[in-house]
Amino acid sequence: MRDFLREHRWAVVVSVLLHGLLVVGLVLATLNSHRAPSPVQPLPIDAVVVDSQVLHAAQKAQSDQEAARARAAADAQAAAAAKAAEEARAAEEAKAAEQAKAAEQTQEDEQAKAAEQAKAAEQAKAAEQAKEAEQANEAEQAKAAAQAKAAEHAKADAARAAAAEQQRLIDAKKAADAKQAAEAKQAAEAKQAADAKKAADERARADREAELRKQLADEEHRSAVESGPLRDSYIAKLRNKIQSVWIKPPSASVGLDCLVEVTQIPGGEVTGARVTQCNGDAAARQSIENAVYRASPLPDPPDPALFERNFVFRFKPNE
Amino acid sequence: MNRRISCLAAIGLMLFCSQTWAELVVEITKGQSDAIPIAIVPFSSPQDAAASFDVAQLVSDDLARSGRFKSTERRDMIEQPHTGAAISFDDWRRLNNDYIVVGQVQPLGQDRYNITFELYNVLNHQRLLGYQISANKPGLRLASHQVADMVFEKILGIRGAFATRVAYISVLGSLPHKDYRLIVADADGENPHVVMQSGEPLMSPAWSPDGQSLAYVSFENRLPSVYVQTLKTGERQRVSARAGVNQAPAWSPDGKKLALTLSTRDGNLDIYVLDLTTQALTRITDDPGIDTEPQWSKDGQSLYFTSDRAGGPQIYRIGIQSGDKPRRLTFQGSYNARPRLSPDESQLAFVTQEDGGYRIATMDLRGRGDVQVLTKGHFDVSPSYAPNGAEIIYASRDRGRGVLALVSADGRVQERLVSSEGELQEPAWAPF
Repeated sequence: MRDFLREHRWAVVVSVLLHGLLVVGLVLATLNSHRAPSPVQPLPIDAVVVDSQVLHAAQKAQSDQEAARARAAADAQAAAAAKAAEEARAAEEAKAAEQAKAAEQTQEDEQAKAAEQAKAAEQAKAAEQAKEAEQANEAEQAKAAAQAKAAEHAKADAARAAAAEQQRLIDAKKAADAKQAAEAKQAAEAKQAADAKKAADERARADREAELRKQLADEEHRSAVESGPLRDSYIAKLRNKIQSVWIKPPSASVGLDCLVEVTQIPGGEVTGARVTQCNGDAAARQSIENAVYRASPLPDPPDPALFERNFVFRFKPNE
Repeated sequence: MNRRISCLAAIGLMLFCSQTWAELVVEITKGQSDAIPIAIVPFSSPQDAAASFDVAQLVSDDLARSGRFKSTERRDMIEQPHTGAAISFDDWRRLNNDYIVVGQVQPLGQDRYNITFELYNVLNHQRLLGYQISANKPGLRLASHQVADMVFEKILGIRGAFATRVAYISVLGSLPHKDYRLIVADADGENPHVVMQSGEPLMSPAWSPDGQSLAYVSFENRLPSVYVQTLKTGERQRVSARAGVNQAPAWSPDGKKLALTLSTRDGNLDIYVLDLTTQALTRITDDPGIDTEPQWSKDGQSLYFTSDRAGGPQIYRIGIQSGDKPRRLTFQGSYNARPRLSPDESQLAFVTQEDGGYRIATMDLRGRGDVQVLTKGHFDVSPSYAPNGAEIIYASRDRGRGVLALVSADGRVQERLVSSEGELQEPAWAPF
């Protein structure tokens, strides 16, 4: 080597100068041709070292939480059901009472009317009898007719007046009865309308509640998928794929800790890989970015809800 | 009723809020130690004799021999671009390449050539390297190794050691007419040069830290003596020819001293340090057992060596300050010898006996002292680290013949070096 250098001193000097020029050119070219890295949203990083015990505890806490949530939901549902039943029963009872009351009133009305009619008939009969007695006594009283004629006239007038008065009372009573019936009917109708409105309100509220429950259920599904075994299986698939293609350079050993932001499109094709935080050398960074590209297309998630366009691989070799 | 609704709404809101921290973070804790796929496209070349030198093939062979790369076969290349602009990255990606090297060899006239090459990351189309190296025709080989070094370092973050050299002993013929040669060759075994030749044994070549000189043992006067030879001039100097044994020279990191094994009159071997300037000799070990094969620590303050003071040969460490007591390092097995320190001092390579065979093993010096046996041969001896610490060269036997072989420092890859004629022994990898 030194022989070589000595022998070609000038060539080496020229070569060094050329290299210098080339490097300047390279830097300029690199600056000019620098490709803007595809934008990757910076992601919050949970840099906590997670050991299996902590993981287990967290999982347990989560499943406890889920169980509690499920329990609460069940309780709420049961309570709602009970209350609904209660309300239905109350409505039933109210309706029955209403009907009973209406029936009672109708009966009363009819009784009153019958009594009225009976009374009228009796009075008519009494008038008839009075008239017959009057006719029977006509001959006998013919004599006294003249004398009694004035009195008789007066009496007949009085009877007519009495009958008329009787009729008037009957009519008035009838009118009053009709009025009362109409009023009752109106009241019943108003009550029915009020009941209908109340039922509609109840239905609307039930719908709202159902909608909220559905939203809640969707969120719970998403959350369950994201924290449950499906998510774990997705993570395992991603990990296996990357680990099978990451060619570790000699510098990548225990102590290396690097984050690479990855962008994928549906189908798993990697469209961007950029090492952000990394305590390794250039070779380690490059091997990490290459591993992500080599793993493209990334595995499909077992549930579409798990697909993330941007996510983070943390390279932290334990050997 | 209203309270119930607001309660549900509150729970819904809580779930909605939880979305923000349900972020997907996937932790990666393992990786592969596979070879990295790379395509070295044949370089375009001018229409003259130099065109016969295949730069791309040499780069490809270097990278593949390291075990850390696998090169795409030429017959699988559907096109052969020579510049970055001509690369269809998607095609090369479909061939499962992570990287691609393209280039040209251009004549500059007067036996001068320019090698221009570029390295690209196929996955993100990034241009990682772009260089031009000028060389004469014999220099094209070295320049090609330098291309391989740059590619190796850019991708792995470790300096390449392809453009370095190795020294070794080659023995030709049979008794009584044996021919011993001290040879310096390129790290791939090519381009061998004889720097010393003798009818008597040559042994234990050791590189000076500046790579300019070799120390070795020669029996040219029927007795072992230690010589230092400057490679460029061929000038030799006998530095130790004491009565009895003079063997196993090792340069101190500052190049001013040699550690040696010398014998006392009763034949007991101990380790000494010889100051090359003042010729002052300092005794380091004093034990009735055999102490030999010294190797310096990087700070020049202590020596690793082999001793049978506890029965079988084991490896010890001792400070060179007087009065220091040796500390035993190996306890596994009955035979551990010839310690060699990795350049970053994280590992010790040595010869161990396992299942009746001699094998190359390493010991982790930073952790718990884990021992890993790297080779599986029956006679794998004389380990020597590449200056980048990535590989170990050693002497092995193949069908009764001495050959040189490489093993990666993690034991993952083993390669046989092309071998010139003769029995090859005692390889020593030169510094950068």
